[in-house]
Amino acid sequence: MVNKIVLDQASMQRALTRITYEILEHNKGGQNLILVGVKTRGEYLAHRIADRLEQLEGVKIPVMAIDISDYRDDRLSNHTKLGLDEDDRVNIIDKNIVLVDDVLFTGRTTRAALDALIQIGRPKTISLAVLIDRGHRELPIRADFVGKNIPTAQNEKIQVRVKEIDDVDEVEIVH
Amino acid sequence: MERHLILEDGTVFSGQGFGAPATTFGEIIFDTATSGYQETITNPIYDGQMIVFAMPVVGADGIHAEAYESINPKIRGMIVHDLAEVSTNRQRRMNLDRFLKQHNIPGLYQVDTRKLIRHLRETGSQKATIVDVVDDHARDQLQATVLTNKQVQNTATTKAYSNPGRGFHIVVIDFGLKNGILRVLGDYDANVTVLPYTTSVDEVLTLDPDGIILSTGPGNPEDLPESVLTLIRVLQSKVPMLGIGLGHELFALANNSELTTLPAEYHGMNHPIQEIISQEMIYARQGRGYVVDPDALDTKKLFVTHRDMVDNSIQGLRHRDFPAFSVQFFPDGAPGPLEAKRVFADFFETVVDYVQKNN
Repeated sequence: MVNKIVLDQASMQRALTRITYEILEHNKGGQNLILVGVKTRGEYLAHRIADRLEQLEGVKIPVMAIDISDYRDDRLSNHTKLGLDEDDRVNIIDKNIVLVDDVLFTGRTTRAALDALIQIGRPKTISLAVLIDRGHRELPIRADFVGKNIPTAQNEKIQVRVKEIDDVDEVEIVH
Repeated sequence: MERHLILEDGTVFSGQGFGAPATTFGEIIFDTATSGYQETITNPIYDGQMIVFAMPVVGADGIHAEAYESINPKIRGMIVHDLAEVSTNRQRRMNLDRFLKQHNIPGLYQVDTRKLIRHLRETGSQKATIVDVVDDHARDQLQATVLTNKQVQNTATTKAYSNPGRGFHIVVIDFGLKNGILRVLGDYDANVTVLPYTTSVDEVLTLDPDGIILSTGPGNPEDLPESVLTLIRVLQSKVPMLGIGLGHELFALANNSELTTLPAEYHGMNHPIQEIISQEMIYARQGRGYVVDPDALDTKKLFVTHRDMVDNSIQGLRHRDFPAFSVQFFPDGAPGPLEAKRVFADFFETVVDYVQKNN
């Protein structure tokens, strides 16, 4: 099977740029905004969006990383391990949260991230930004900001690579 | 035959005539680009203007069927340093001299264009005339000439028309559209409807567009009726919008911002432009006599997305509340660097997003 690059570096940058503009449009200049990246790659994407917001508005938007491993619905857990690092935990109560992930697929990761977030406070709003929406939802979840919609088959895999850890910015469909 | 260029300030430049032997009046500006003279002289933004080319030799490419930016050129004159004679037999191309004769446009070559451009940089855009004889009569005629401010009426379509495709339905509001915009929309297989700028909001919305483009065009945006600004204000809140050139200036005016007139117009493609959000640099063809005044920008409504790195002028704006944005430069690459075409890619991605959210 042949793997196929569906987003190269330039289009990935542009997708993040457009997502940033849309986030600004819906959050009135980034007031009260917090970006929460879903580990692993969502965290880097959240930082990229925060950098763009800073270029435009000159404000630093807080970025947090969330680890949803203890909130997955395919493992039994009593959620003892909080999803957010102690160090970068900000008060999320009454804030507008944008959850950032690389790929939206079944929606189960997002569901887990919502649970993890709500356990530590009650934000005013939570919206969802994803670089890739590949379809096949199993839960009633939809993204507010989408970099690119890529229709896929169930058995295909979407591999998002980011410079920070993969040395390259690209998205590939792996068969 | 020796002919002469007289400027409003009285200065005379002499050269040899080519093109039509007519006497002409117009506003004189200069172009620093080193390619794309055919696209430039056929671009409707130059309605009523005479263009001095900084490029030392002009005409070496002849005239091509694929490089028209409008059917009928609206420039009033062309001033070059040296004119290249191109055989009309070679690839059956027409040459510049014959083209100008057909359209009754006079040209002047063997002119000291470096000196002329330096002079225009100092004294600014002004009225000028190309004549056979420099005498009191010619000077009086020039002083008495009143240049039109109805350039958009002269160049924009008065009737709606379609440029069909199988993709998104894009409405272009025509203020003196250049072909390059339609060419790029064709690359996206867009289903295009071009409308006169006098079209009402209801007429536009009845067409159910997926996106709206405010076209490039000639003249001073403040000469257009207030109804245009109302049209923009309503449409920007409903459908994704991209303003280009004059369309960008109108987008700014519609959003409570003001313009300033440049002392000398800038026409060229050698200024780096920064996309602020990504800090990336691009080059694009520019042609502007007005820029958005940074001190009179309504930052509650708009923010700056692009800047010219040479004169720091505002080159791009975006609305804070709607998917509406605009660029001062020409992103269609006709003529000019192709990298600026990404503006259209951004526009179509915004359109995709809009269509998906509203279905």
